[in-house]
Amino acid sequence: MALMKTHMEFTRAPIVPPSASRIAAEIGACVEFSGIVRESENGSKIPGLNYQAYEPMALNQLGKICHELGTRHPCEEILLIHRLDFVPVGEASLFIRIQARHRQSSLALMTELIDRLKTDVPIWKQEIEMAAPQSPKVP
Amino acid sequence: MKITILTFAQTRAQLGFSEQACDCSPRETPRQILRRLAPGFTPDQSVRVAVNQEYADWDQPIGEATELALIPPVSGG
Repeated sequence: MALMKTHMEFTRAPIVPPSASRIAAEIGACVEFSGIVRESENGSKIPGLNYQAYEPMALNQLGKICHELGTRHPCEEILLIHRLDFVPVGEASLFIRIQARHRQSSLALMTELIDRLKTDVPIWKQEIEMAAPQSPKVP
Repeated sequence: MKITILTFAQTRAQLGFSEQACDCSPRETPRQILRRLAPGFTPDQSVRVAVNQEYADWDQPIGEATELALIPPVSGG
């Protein structure tokens, strides 16, 4: 089977995962993960999160991490889309799809890739505070 | 030579700029450049530095690098 294919991108629009096409007849596992913005962060309700990235370095880092992980957990394809700027509660900030021959390697790579994303890839989230309620108008 | 300093997240708020060009020598380290650029700013130990988009050592001379970025703890995903 050919070398692992990777595709990494940032988007500022809602993530629409491309349809999954089985890239080779030997593919036996297709694992997908969506990271969704929750309605509370550190105990406070939020309308969403704002994401910022050092984009060229983040893409370089992701490429290196995928290559490193792929040597330990052989997979055929990794697709990763991370959303930037404001992401409302309930929408995905991250989508990853991994295709591999076997489920063990695809699941292990998925777990480690998300862990590394959260420690080594220059992307930052910032909580957005709820707007203060309007004071009632005095007639 | 000139190097571009980039800041992100809390370091951007602390330093008050997102990008700034700075004169420097190849023998200077990121720590020395930052100290000269912002004497009152001491980065928290959790802040890493990247030189030409690679994580680097605060005390390693920058050589011919053209870009230096302050990388506070990341939180993507």
